[in-house]
Amino acid sequence: MLYLSLFISFFKVGLLGFGGGMAIISLIQNEVLRHGWMTETEFVDIVAISQVTPGPIGMNCATYVGYTATGSVWGSMVTSFAIVLPSLIIMLTICAIYDKLSKRWSENKVYQAVMRLIRIGVVVLIAHAAWTLITPATFTDMRSWVIFGAVLLCMLLPEAARVLKRPEWAKNKAVRVLSHPVFLMVLAGAAGYMMYS
Amino acid sequence: MLLRLFWTYLKIGTFTLGGGYAMLPLIQHEIVDKQHLIDEKEFVNMIALAQAAPGLIAVNSAIFIGHRIAGWRGVAATVCGAVLPSIVIILLIAVFFRQLKHIAAVEAVFKGLRPAVVALIAAAVIKMARNI
Repeated sequence: MLYLSLFISFFKVGLLGFGGGMAIISLIQNEVLRHGWMTETEFVDIVAISQVTPGPIGMNCATYVGYTATGSVWGSMVTSFAIVLPSLIIMLTICAIYDKLSKRWSENKVYQAVMRLIRIGVVVLIAHAAWTLITPATFTDMRSWVIFGAVLLCMLLPEAARVLKRPEWAKNKAVRVLSHPVFLMVLAGAAGYMMYS
Repeated sequence: MLLRLFWTYLKIGTFTLGGGYAMLPLIQHEIVDKQHLIDEKEFVNMIALAQAAPGLIAVNSAIFIGHRIAGWRGVAATVCGAVLPSIVIILLIAVFFRQLKHIAAVEAVFKGLRPAVVALIAAAVIKMARNI
């Protein structure tokens, strides 16, 4: 029964996961917390690990949740397969009609309107996910907020360059390193080690 | 050919840190520039499709390229190559993490990581909201 609900949950995540990594993480979070497969803190730890290990973040997260929820490698197999299955069905359909597909499909007005609605939905979803992860267990004291602020600031450096109409800043090597998620995670881990141990 | 596709994707899956978007330049380097399996224009189309479809962008692009080059056998080769490193590495970590978690130093590192993860998600919200 656990395996079946894992399969259904991750199939849903694969099917509704528009917009890449963070959208998929938010959907997984929603399923995981709803079913009580793990706590907010455990989930955040998994996202942290998924971020600094090789491979697609959604896949890392799915594999990890599958193992933790069942305590068995088969749980991972089920979640990884379930998250990829909708992609297989949809992408193979697209491939089959690819040559007949109008090369200007992305300029279609209806298509653009639908994608815009989906994007709005995805943003709301991720915002909600971020909000629910701010708990006393994940933000233990003021230092947590300092790390949060610093990482957010660094991540938004390329955006700031665009707002200030200085796109060349975003290409600057220092800015690119400073706004790289993996680099920031390593830095945050080091900061945690120095502050709390 | 299938072995080469599998091997190429295995390499890409093992050496990209930071998720699907980090994989795209590597895919471009291997599949377009070095092995000339698809051309630049098709690669750009592929990215557009992989992003528009639901699911993991890295997996979507692996399916497209595998199918273009060698049909469904190609899909099996690229998808397995792309996800295998993830599954193996994460399982190894998952098995050992439960024991490591109780070490004070590990807990301290994660105390620093947790707000950083929430910040990454919040940054994604702001970036995406700007592009609606």
